[in-house]
Amino acid sequence: MSGVTAADRAGGDLAGGPRTTAGVIAMGNLDARIEGLAAQAVPGRLTAAGWGELVELTALRGHVGGRIDEVERVAALADMFVDRAPGDPRPLLARAGVAAHFHRFAAALDDLEAAAVLGLDRCTVDVERAAVCQAVGRYDEAHALCRRALSRRRDFGTVAAMARCHADNGGAAHEADEAAEAETWFLAARRAYRGVSPFPLAILEFQCGRMWLVRGGPARARTWLESAVARLPSYVPALGHLAEADAAEGRRAAAVERLRRLVLVSDDPEYATGLARLLGGCGASAEARFWRARAAARYEELMARHPEAYVDHAAEFWLTVGGDPQRALRLSLQNLAHRPTPRARALVDRARCRVGQR
Amino acid sequence: MSDHLSGTRAVADPAIDLTDLYAFPSPSRPGRLVLVLDVFPSAWPGALFSDAASYRFRVRPVSVPMGHSGALFDVGADEFALTCTFSAPAGPDEDGRSAQRGTCVLPSGASVSFLVNDERGGEGDDVRCYAGLRLDPFFMDVAKEVETRASGRLAFVPQGTNPLEGNDVLTFVAELDAARVFGPAAGSVFAVAAETVTLGPYPVRLERLGRPEVKNILMSENGVDTANKIVDLRDLYNEEDPFRLGPTYLDAYRSRLNANLGFFDGLDGKLDWTAQPDGTHPLTELLLADFLVVDAAKPYAEDSYFEIEWALLEGREYTTCGGRSLNDDVIDTLYTLIVNAGHGPRVSDGVDGTVPALREFPYLAPANPYPPEQAATIPKAPANR
Repeated sequence: MSGVTAADRAGGDLAGGPRTTAGVIAMGNLDARIEGLAAQAVPGRLTAAGWGELVELTALRGHVGGRIDEVERVAALADMFVDRAPGDPRPLLARAGVAAHFHRFAAALDDLEAAAVLGLDRCTVDVERAAVCQAVGRYDEAHALCRRALSRRRDFGTVAAMARCHADNGGAAHEADEAAEAETWFLAARRAYRGVSPFPLAILEFQCGRMWLVRGGPARARTWLESAVARLPSYVPALGHLAEADAAEGRRAAAVERLRRLVLVSDDPEYATGLARLLGGCGASAEARFWRARAAARYEELMARHPEAYVDHAAEFWLTVGGDPQRALRLSLQNLAHRPTPRARALVDRARCRVGQR
Repeated sequence: MSDHLSGTRAVADPAIDLTDLYAFPSPSRPGRLVLVLDVFPSAWPGALFSDAASYRFRVRPVSVPMGHSGALFDVGADEFALTCTFSAPAGPDEDGRSAQRGTCVLPSGASVSFLVNDERGGEGDDVRCYAGLRLDPFFMDVAKEVETRASGRLAFVPQGTNPLEGNDVLTFVAELDAARVFGPAAGSVFAVAAETVTLGPYPVRLERLGRPEVKNILMSENGVDTANKIVDLRDLYNEEDPFRLGPTYLDAYRSRLNANLGFFDGLDGKLDWTAQPDGTHPLTELLLADFLVVDAAKPYAEDSYFEIEWALLEGREYTTCGGRSLNDDVIDTLYTLIVNAGHGPRVSDGVDGTVPALREFPYLAPANPYPPEQAATIPKAPANR
C-alpha cells in the first residue's frame, strides 16, 4: 500500500500510538452520554441523530464491557428507532449494525440497502457491507468494497476497514504475508486517527491482536492487546484475548487469574468456557465443573435467542469442555451452512475427527 | 443546535465537542471580561473533561472601522491564549465521584489550578477559573429550525419547544481583568474564539468555535450549494485556524455560505440582501471571520449578540458590548439577520429562554438537580443480567 514506511513494514512501533483520553474518563463519559441521551428520549425530545447515537453508544458499551444483554437492549432500541424515523437512513444503519452483530446477515444487508436508497453515503454503506461479506467468507467482495470506500475517502474508518479485511481473509494463499499486510494497514489506520477518544483505537488494536492470536502469533498479539487495555483497562474482550495469549505462552496461572475476573463482569460464556478448560487442565476439577455448567447453561439461553450468532462458539464449547462432540458436529455443520468460512470448515473437520467420521 | 454535534468528530467524542462560546463583560464586576466555553452535549453527572486534549480561549485585540459600511474587522496579530488542561481523575470520593483537577495557563505563563465541579474555582493573576457540570444555557426550537431548512419556509410557531430544556453541559469559565491580563495596549475590543486541541508534540485541532450556528445552520448542507451539494464541510471547517483560514477549502466555505445565505434570505418570500454579480453574499466574508467580538469596556447587556457586526455592516458606531451573553436569544438574532436583514419584524423561533444565567461567578446556572428518570419506553437490559 502507498504511504507506508519501511519501519511499518518491519513491524516497528507496534506499541504506543496517539495519546487518548484516560480509560476511566472515557468509560465515565460513555455512561454519562448514554444517560443524557436516554433522559432526552423520555419526553420524545431525542432527534434522529440522537437516537442513532444512543444506539451506537449502547452497542459500544456492550462490546467494551463484554455484556451480551446490553447489545440485546440495543436491538430493541434500534427497532424503536426505525419505527420513529422511517424516512431516515441512520436508524437503518444502526439496526444493520445490530443485525450483523447477531449474525443476521441477510437482515443487515437489507437494512443497508434500504439505507442506501434513503441517501446514506456510499462510503459508509461500502464499509458496512464489507464487514458482512467478510463474516460470511466473501473475501473478494469485501476487498473490492473496501478498495472502493478507500478511493472515495481515505480516513481512519476506511483504512481500518481495509485492515480488518486483510486480517479476516481466511482464504489467503499466503497467510503470513496476509497478516503482515493487515498489520501494515492497522498501523496506517492508527496513524490516520484524529481524535482523543480511546474507543476507536482500542477496538482497532484489539482487532489486530485477535488476528495475531488466530494466526498463531501470541507475542505479537500481546503487544497490540496490551496497548488496547492500556487505553481502556476495563475492555473485556481485549482482556479475554490477553488471557488466551497468556495460556498460549504457558502462563496458565495468569490466564486463570484474568478469566476469574472476567466471568464476574461479563455474561459472555466464552470466558467461563476458557476458565473451565484451563482449570480442568490443571486438576481443579470441581471449579472447572462449576464453570463448565455455567457456560453450558448460558449457551443454551443464547442459542435459543440468537442461534446464528452463537452456533460456532457453542460448537466449540461442546467439542471441548462441553464434552458432546455429536452435538458439536451438528452445530458446526449448521454454522458452516450459515457462513462458509475456512474457520467454519476447520471446526466441522475437528468435530468429524472427534466423532470418528474422519 | 448551536455548535452541538457539529461534525462526525464531535459526535464521536462529547468531551471535545464544543457546544457554545460566550464572551461578555461581567454583570457584577464591571471591567472584568467573562469567557465561557461549553462541551459535552446532554452531559450527566460523572462527565469529565478529556485529559488528552486542551481547551483553549484565543483572544486577539481587534479594531472596528467606523463609517465604512461593508468593512471587515481589523484583527491584530497579538494573541492571548488561556489554555486549560485536565488531569486523569483521582478518587472516587465518598459519593463515588472522581475528582479531576484543571490547570489554566494564562497569557503571562502563570497558571490557575482548580478542582472540577468546585464552585469556588481557582484564582490567580487577576483570573478566576471554574470548570464543571452546569445547566446548558442554549435554547432553540431545534425541530422547527430543521423543518424550516427542509421545507424552505419559516416553520417556527409562537410557542416553540426547547429540546435542550434541563440538559447539562461541561463548562469552562474564565473571568479576568482584561486590562491587566492582556495589557492596556490591547485596548478593550477583542475577537474571541475557542478550540479543543490534542495534547502532544503534534497538536491537532479537533473543534473550534466562534459564532453560534455557523456550522450547524449556515454551513450545514441544505441542498442549495450546487458546488458542494452533498459534502459535509464541517469537520474541515473545524480544523481551520479561526484567525487564518487556509486556502485549500476557502472557496468551498464561500460557496456554501453564499448559497445558503441566499436560501435563508428568500424564506420570507422576498430578498433583503443584494448579492454581488458573482454571487457573493454581503455577509459571507464577515461570517468567515468566525469569532465573537466583544468590548470589555462597555457595560454588560443582554441580546447584544452581533450588535457590533451590525454596526460594522451599517457603517455606524456600535453601542453595546456585543459579544454573546448566556441569556442572548441568538437564534432570533441570526434568523432576523439572514431572513429579513432587520427590515421586517424580528423572526422568532418561539423559544425565549431557559433558566436564566446567574449574575455572579461562575454565571451558568447549576446543573439540573433532578435529571428525568429513564422512561419505561427505553428498553432495559434483560432480567438475567
